[in-house]
Amino acid sequence: MSEFKSGFFVGGDACNGRVLVVDDEPDIRKVVKMTLQKAGYDVLEAEDGGKAIETINSGENRLLLDVMVCDIRMPKVNGIEAIAYFRQNYPRVPLIVLTGFPDTDMATSLLRQGVVDYLVKPVEGEKLKAAVARAMEQRELAPL
Amino acid sequence: MNSAAPQVSEQDPGGRTVRRPSPASQEKDSVTPMTTTHPTDVTPTKVAILGAGRGGTALLDLLHQIPAIEIVGITDCNPGAPGLQRARELRVPVVPHITELIQNHGVQLILDVTGDPALGAIIRSHARPDADVLSGSASRMLWELVQHESALQAELLHAEKLAGIGSFAAGIAHDINNPLQLILGLAENLAEETDLEVIHAQAADIIAAVKRTTGICRDLTAYGRRSASHNHSLIPLNNKLDEALRIARYAVGFHDIDIVKQYAPDAAATGHPDELLHVFVNLITNAIQAMERGGTLTLRTTIEQDNVTIQVADTGCGIPPELFNEIFEPFFTTKPPGKGTGLGLYNIKHVIHQMHGTIAVTSDVGVGSTFTIRLPGVTQT
Repeated sequence: MSEFKSGFFVGGDACNGRVLVVDDEPDIRKVVKMTLQKAGYDVLEAEDGGKAIETINSGENRLLLDVMVCDIRMPKVNGIEAIAYFRQNYPRVPLIVLTGFPDTDMATSLLRQGVVDYLVKPVEGEKLKAAVARAMEQRELAPL
Repeated sequence: MNSAAPQVSEQDPGGRTVRRPSPASQEKDSVTPMTTTHPTDVTPTKVAILGAGRGGTALLDLLHQIPAIEIVGITDCNPGAPGLQRARELRVPVVPHITELIQNHGVQLILDVTGDPALGAIIRSHARPDADVLSGSASRMLWELVQHESALQAELLHAEKLAGIGSFAAGIAHDINNPLQLILGLAENLAEETDLEVIHAQAADIIAAVKRTTGICRDLTAYGRRSASHNHSLIPLNNKLDEALRIARYAVGFHDIDIVKQYAPDAAATGHPDELLHVFVNLITNAIQAMERGGTLTLRTTIEQDNVTIQVADTGCGIPPELFNEIFEPFFTTKPPGKGTGLGLYNIKHVIHQMHGTIAVTSDVGVGSTFTIRLPGVTQT
């Protein structure tokens, strides 16, 4: 739980919200985390869909996790399965897909399921931050 | 292993499918009886090939695969002729003197592709009276037909390979866009970073990510290129299996797959490296696709006396015994439209037969499948 304690104030800035980054590549988690932390977010990491589900079900995350940024192609529980779980059990958490493989059919289907943004790697830091900021706003609007 | 004893389907070099129970199940009463389709019980025609240039080599490559033909020998006045080397690889006798070849060995058909008009008289005076002779423009036409057929086979193999590369898109995108995401993120950070130590570390990360990406292009250009038809060489099989494993990852997601390698050191065979790579990629891709919910992929090489054996085994869905005869047939596929050409195993069989080998499958529904390739072996030195 050290991650979550240390994340509340980043670089002296007040926390803008808590983001869960789900990707099987440690490099991607590292760089996305770096970008979002600089924007004042508290960032948690998970290496696959199963770990993402574990994370939101642990401790305060049920209430305090604001946004999930999720890859699709992952081992064990993939992004599609994780997204279905989150939509079912935590519909208040806006979901952003960040994938290496642009697929129009999949994007359409995910957006229909309530995913708020579909980003394709490599995504610029500004775009990623803007997407997360928009998702944060939607989160505030979502009924608790 | 009692009621569902694994079945074996073996394709011999003549393309006949021989289906028989595996050795483990042969003692049971309920075994499937041995069945052979297209039985060829006729005594093979004994053929002698005169001339080991391009024509002789093309004939040799085709005729040695046909069970109804026995090549009793090949000869050429030029000891460096390419067909003589190929004959040694295929274990076809190389006979130094033309008269010795056509007088002995009970030759029934003489194929003269030398184009030398003077040979006619020699053949007439030394061959058995009942031996048939094909020479001049007739033999030239024969080898042109053979070459045409072999070019078509090569086209088919290449077309199937290219069709397969279409399915690499997701894997390639994943493997290129992930490093690009890292590179972009780090570069954006470097634009604002002031800590020299961080700058050095992140620049090193960028360089490493670029190097990983170049490996993808190297693997794929090597895989996609058109094979030169007679580029035979010594193939280190374990390296080739490792290379195939890297390429197969583009075609299918290796999620929850354990990989077990049991390699005999220095396992090697002679043949066409690009074609054998294609065979391995295909077998590995099939194996992974058979294990939708994960499993174990085993790659094994073993050296027996004169043979080398390569096995690709999965713990996937298995193949029902009634399909054993069909899986090596052209256009047979169990994949949905657009996902498979149905030419994969057919082409594999062709490549393996050209290498003078056999391919067999053992399978148990719900337990897994093992494809076994047996090739004439050579030991690397």
